[in-house]
Amino acid sequence: MFGYLRVQKSELLVREWNAYRAVYCGLCKQMGRDYSFLTRLTLSYDGTFYAMLLMSLSRSCKGFDKGRCTCNPLKECRFARCEDDAYHKAAALSVISVYYKLVDDLTDSGFWRRLLVRAVKPLFSHWHKKAAKRYPELEQLVFDMMDAQRQVETGEKTGVDAAAHPTAQMLARVLSLEARNEAERRIFSEFGYHLGRWIYLIDAADDLEKDIKRQNFNPFRDCPPEDREAYETRVLNQCLARAYDAYQLMTVVDFKGIFDNMLLYGFPAKQNTVVYRLKEEKDDKSV
Amino acid sequence: MTNPYEVLGVSPSATDEEIKKAYRELAKKYHPDNYADSPLADLAEQKMKEVNEAYDEINRMRQKGKGTGSVGSNTGAGGSYYGNNASTSQFYSVRIYIQRNMISEAEKILDGTPEGNRTAEWHYLKGMCAFRKGWTDQATEYFRKAVNMDPNNQEYRAALNNVQGQGSFNYGGYRTGNGGSASSTGCSCCDICAAYMCADCLCSCCRSGC
Repeated sequence: MFGYLRVQKSELLVREWNAYRAVYCGLCKQMGRDYSFLTRLTLSYDGTFYAMLLMSLSRSCKGFDKGRCTCNPLKECRFARCEDDAYHKAAALSVISVYYKLVDDLTDSGFWRRLLVRAVKPLFSHWHKKAAKRYPELEQLVFDMMDAQRQVETGEKTGVDAAAHPTAQMLARVLSLEARNEAERRIFSEFGYHLGRWIYLIDAADDLEKDIKRQNFNPFRDCPPEDREAYETRVLNQCLARAYDAYQLMTVVDFKGIFDNMLLYGFPAKQNTVVYRLKEEKDDKSV
Repeated sequence: MTNPYEVLGVSPSATDEEIKKAYRELAKKYHPDNYADSPLADLAEQKMKEVNEAYDEINRMRQKGKGTGSVGSNTGAGGSYYGNNASTSQFYSVRIYIQRNMISEAEKILDGTPEGNRTAEWHYLKGMCAFRKGWTDQATEYFRKAVNMDPNNQEYRAALNNVQGQGSFNYGGYRTGNGGSASSTGCSCCDICAAYMCADCLCSCCRSGC
């Protein structure tokens, strides 16, 4: 369930695109420093979104530094300078969620993938321990989510609402950690809930064929094929609509153009490519 | 007190026209219609109030400066989210709980209602609980049932329209583009390239100009 929180590059200003890249590269660098060179491979757009949101809410981005990409020394990079622990937190959340994803993969994926997961899991266990120690509250929230998810998926007659609830609730709680008062807590929680719901459901829509083939759980599996697109679109639109309403009540100043872009163009575009099984536009692919 | 210009997000040197425009945009953004049935409705209302007050404040200050007559007040965009039949309802306490965002209490009463008493209103309120929790799919089903049982009730119909509106493309200020097409903006790759070239040209013009 990674990589759905995208920007629509064609709609961004050049300086916004540069800022977005700088956050992406900044997070990548920090992941390397906090854990290991290999954890950088788990860098995702979702982690970037989380880091950028944290920086924006606490207004802790204080400019950009020039440097070089560690993976490709020929490439010049800019890094967003952050004065609080936004990068650390985002790195920890990524490591923790990737670890649990691996654990999950051990039970419901094909033979070759299981073999691969067995090989890398010990490494991730080590980093996961480190991240969990640093941010026990994040660890707890992800752990609870996985637990609730397992229960939901084995239950009978699970609809989309119940299936999406654990992920939605996790993101609601993760974002609520940043609230400074009750009103903010409610707004962040609503925003997180519907964004989390959207992430879960779009991932489910993406994996539908695979899940049916492997007889895994999928909330859309009972939907008649001719209604599938319309139904998925409706449910996903509802999530984004409500997340957007909550977002409108947040005071976002830094990176505002980028967040607006994501909510109004990036996420819907991604949603359309997934639901209607379209090819990704090349232009929007890489950072 | 906060600076009214900051609330509207304009500079103190902005023209009356610019202020009006900023005000209109914010009023559209926080309009109660966008937050119908939302658990955040009260917060949006609060924001709306702040915006109205800031706009009035600026107008008052500017009028004083000019020494001309009074200006019309722009308040009154609030409104009640619940129908008039709320007080006579058999589920009065449930409505109060929902209004206060105490969803589990409301659900407890609803789930304790015997099968025979599950009226259209019961389905409507059950849908409202689901909606507040974010379970929009279930909410849609309950609202639909309520409307089927009592097709003349405007309250139920409005709730169903609202939740369906969120699922369609033209909800509020929110655009998802044209559904089936490849890109939500309707641009081809060429358009994007061309746009980039233009943008690049403009940028370099500015830079050399500075």
